[in-house]
Amino acid sequence: MSSDSSGTTAAPAHQGDVLVVTDVVRRFGDLVAVDGVSFRIAPGETYGLLGPNGAGKTTTISMVAGLLPADAGTITLLGRAVGPRHTDVKRHVGLVPQDLAIYPELSARENLVFFGRLQGMWGRALTARVDEVLEIVGLADRAKDATKEYSGGMKRRLNIGIGLLHQPTLLILDEPTVGVDPQSRNAILESVEALSHEGMAVLYTTHYMEEAERLCDRIAIIDSGRVQAEGTRDELIRLTGELDRIRLTGGGDVPEAAAAVRALDAVASADADRHSVLLAVRDAPTAVAGVVTAATAAGMTLDDVEITRPNLESVFLQLTGKALRD
Amino acid sequence: MRTALAITSVELKRFLADRSNIFFVFVFPLLLVLFIGAQFGGGGGGRVALSGPDSSLTADLAAQLADDDAQVTTVTADDARELVARGRADVSVVVTDEAAAAYDAGDDVAVPLVVGNGAQSQATAQRVQSALDALALERGQLAALTDAGLSAESARQALAAADTALRPARMEITNVSEIAQEFAGLGQFDYGAASQVLLFVFLISLAGSTTLIQSRRLGVTRRTLAAPVTTRQAVAGQALGRLAIATTQGVYIMAASTLLFGVDWGNLALAFLVVVVFGLVAAGAAMVLGSVIDNDAAAGGVGVGVGLVAGALGGAMYPIELFPDSLRTVAHLTPHAWAGQALAEVQRHGAGLVEILPELGVLLGYAAVLLLVGAWVLRRSLARAI
Ligand SMILES: Nc1ncnc2c1ncn2[C@@H]1O[C@H](COP(=O)(O)OP(=O)(O)OP(=O)(O)O)[C@@H](O)[C@H]1O
Ligand SMILES: [Mg+2]
Repeated sequence: MSSDSSGTTAAPAHQGDVLVVTDVVRRFGDLVAVDGVSFRIAPGETYGLLGPNGAGKTTTISMVAGLLPADAGTITLLGRAVGPRHTDVKRHVGLVPQDLAIYPELSARENLVFFGRLQGMWGRALTARVDEVLEIVGLADRAKDATKEYSGGMKRRLNIGIGLLHQPTLLILDEPTVGVDPQSRNAILESVEALSHEGMAVLYTTHYMEEAERLCDRIAIIDSGRVQAEGTRDELIRLTGELDRIRLTGGGDVPEAAAAVRALDAVASADADRHSVLLAVRDAPTAVAGVVTAATAAGMTLDDVEITRPNLESVFLQLTGKALRD
Repeated sequence: MRTALAITSVELKRFLADRSNIFFVFVFPLLLVLFIGAQFGGGGGGRVALSGPDSSLTADLAAQLADDDAQVTTVTADDARELVARGRADVSVVVTDEAAAAYDAGDDVAVPLVVGNGAQSQATAQRVQSALDALALERGQLAALTDAGLSAESARQALAAADTALRPARMEITNVSEIAQEFAGLGQFDYGAASQVLLFVFLISLAGSTTLIQSRRLGVTRRTLAAPVTTRQAVAGQALGRLAIATTQGVYIMAASTLLFGVDWGNLALAFLVVVVFGLVAAGAAMVLGSVIDNDAAAGGVGVGVGLVAGALGGAMYPIELFPDSLRTVAHLTPHAWAGQALAEVQRHGAGLVEILPELGVLLGYAAVLLLVGAWVLRRSLARAI
């Protein structure tokens, strides 16, 4: 699914896509940081860019946000060209940068008011929206304190609040949970889910595969500036050809149970030892009921049923030959 | 414009929110105005330590100097020299017995002066000299009249009548050096306030250029450019922000020194205009500094260094009028010298707009060049912020 020099990836246009990125390239000197990336995001969709450090996630985002010009390829947002010279279309994008881009000397409210003004918001409408966002990110009671006195998680939440302020069509979050405690992290993930349910399109980069799995409708696995694979979580995992595993543990007639489940269509293999049967199956959640029925009918008494499925980590490993985190 | 002004106001807000600025921006300049004022001594006439025998020369000289607004302290000869050495007096005058006798006899009078090295000392020495000249003249006139046959009493009365009639003419101090004339009628804190306005407007603007660098490093510049903001708006907002900081500093020192020390600015609106135009120069310089350097600590150091050196060279620490000629030429490479000259014209000589147009023109030239270069390098620095 990565594009090569022939540039054949342009997918058929879907009416109503919020963002369409086509064969985008960006070089820094000799380094090709982004090397022919294409993807599109539908309204209300959360799209993930999952890749290790230096993969080209932030560079891609800089181009999508109209900060960096692309050396080749096109980007359109709501059908309009995106780039540093296209100021007006930026109104529809909310960028939450990887680095905390807030003024430390100013309070949360002052930061929000400033960035709101840059979005062309003024007066009472701005004040009302600032209050609303302070509630959303849970900083209403600390709104007047200088942000340099905030905890890391609070700063992260304000960082996100600024991106939401002007109710953009596309919200871009560049690794928004880096350096955040588990509780704040969960709050951040929940608010992204809520925004997505409200219909906001989200472009989410991360190198945590759990986050990509939980949040993203579709995911692009990106490495060395190229999209290595793209699809829903399940599609990506299917790509590896790796099967789900079901382990049955218990007593009774274990060898007979193994033979019985092996005969099922969904089961590719079943190996028994004294107290358990390990099965390789397609789509374990669907197959498990039939497996349990067959095993008990064959005389096995079950103490435990355990399902394990391959995750994006294994997909990544297989695609790139390296681990997602170094 | 609204967008640019949003950037301007946030820059000013950050400047005012920075606690470490409070001392340097609001307290320190006033301390320096006070300090320089103390060097200048009380009153425009200078401080004279006078010692001498109980004689008509001593008494007449004291009266003449007091008439000329000088602060006269009568002490022993040793104390007189000590006061000058300590900077408590600008000049010491020791009337010897011979001088007193010569004065009474109508002969030439020679009085030793010890001149201190304060900013006001030379001017005060000139005042003492002209006081002595005036006394000698009066003696000579008196002698001429008595020689012509008048009684001593009638001669004195005639002279007193002539003196009253001539008073307005005597107000114009004759035979006094340029320097004394330059500072004549200047209040104790006037020079200090004018010079510190220039020193601090420039210094604080340059030091404040670090916020440009921090914005780039923090990523707020990037975020600003991700909003519907054109580069032009971002640059204009920053330029206006620098000017707002410079003007705030200038207006603060002008207002505080007027209220606290009674500084007289001459035509206040015109003095303010000079400070604003000078603020444009400072704003341009700050933009250049904050754009070409990427390390905020380094920029802060360079800013303070350049601000101090340019200030010293431009007469914002020591009156340029007291510089040797060659240095005075070099001094005019700094905007401070031109702004100082314009302020002096307004403050000391009641100059109007037309009289200071040349200085304003030079300052506007500096501002135009620095702002253009500043806008260009700032634009380039924005690309580095992405
Ligand atoms: N302004 C720049 N100048 C030169 N090289 C750059 C620049 N920005 C990024 N790069 C390089 O481009 C490559 C991609 O960087 P990018 O920041 O897009 O990666 P990333 O996927 O966001 O990584 P991370 O997870 O560490 O944020 C890296 O090799 C990086 O060093
Ligand atoms: Mg990144």
